[in-house]
Amino acid sequence: MTDSFRQAAGRKLISRTSAQDLGTVAHLLVDAQRRQIAAVVVGRGKKARLVDWSQISGFGPDAVMVGDEGALRPPADDRERLAADGKLEILGQRALTELGNAMGTVDDVTFDTGTGALVHLRVGDREIPAAAMLGSGSYAVVLADHGEPVT
Amino acid sequence: MTLLMHASQINGLPVVTVQGGEDVAEVRDVIYSPEAGHLVGLTLNKRGFLSGRRREVLPVEAIHAIGRDAVMVADESSLVLPEDAPDDVAHPGPDRNVVGDDVLTVGGVSLGTVRDLALLVGSAGEVVGYEIEKAGGGRGYIPLPAQLAVSGSALVVPDITEEFVRDDLVGLGAAVDDFRARLGLR
Amino acid sequence: MDAMNWLVVVLIVLLLAALAFVVIRRRGRAGGVFATRPKP
Repeated sequence: MTDSFRQAAGRKLISRTSAQDLGTVAHLLVDAQRRQIAAVVVGRGKKARLVDWSQISGFGPDAVMVGDEGALRPPADDRERLAADGKLEILGQRALTELGNAMGTVDDVTFDTGTGALVHLRVGDREIPAAAMLGSGSYAVVLADHGEPVT
Repeated sequence: MTLLMHASQINGLPVVTVQGGEDVAEVRDVIYSPEAGHLVGLTLNKRGFLSGRRREVLPVEAIHAIGRDAVMVADESSLVLPEDAPDDVAHPGPDRNVVGDDVLTVGGVSLGTVRDLALLVGSAGEVVGYEIEKAGGGRGYIPLPAQLAVSGSALVVPDITEEFVRDDLVGLGAAVDDFRARLGLR
Repeated sequence: MDAMNWLVVVLIVLLLAALAFVVIRRRGRAGGVFATRPKP
């Protein structure tokens, strides 16, 4: 099944074992090289926690299920701290081709809810396969050039 | 269609890593070799309105591509210390500003003075033409062959360049292939 | 009143120092397009 980053934002995180409300999805951290969701950022500011994709037992349309509270962990390195602060948010991020031309902004990203693999990026009115993603960071998402018309 | 940009547009562009999506620096100087027909490198500033200069430089071999909105590099290790870069990139001569240099044909006709360079968008700094202040007044664009001779502070171009003066970058883009074909058939 | 005059002087000096810093910094960042030196 596919879902989108925009739709997943704000979704509840629930413990499968205790049915406890563990927070809401604040951001989805992307591993650009694997074209995969790396982790879910839950909560904001100092209370932000990360849940590795491998810890998610089910990414449903109404709730994200994890084993229990133990799946939530604090940011482990500088990159994860940036993610927790929302600096690596891919929605609204500038899209650049690898040739250095702006394409617009990333309006949404679709992904497979079973594997966490990214499927498409929507940039303006273009739907770009995730395979074209070369890198993603605090300044831009870099996409492979396939003779895209330069706007 | 050949898309072109001015070298002066590169000043101030962010330097962005392809793999990291980070803006690691900003372009300060653009250094060009007329003999080679392309850029040899860039000097850098740190990102931020009031940040200082950056010590590292970017030799052309380390540039992935130059576009209208950013200079792309593989990753931050593409930026090297000046001692590890060619001297022309590490210490660009301030007296060698290409703007104002005379453009002379082989036959000795002055076409004007250089105002800017025209580069191929998406290349690693390939220079295909000049923007000139025409000898008779007004702005023009001329295509260049792959290599060029330099004499003192004048740049020497083939005689047929005179027939290929254009009014804008679009006209220049269209003229470059014809011009180079004409040179090839000579 | 003397103290007020001194305060104004100090503020003006600080302002000028800040402006000087901005001007020097921005000049240091200014770039151009340069050609390589011709071979001797």
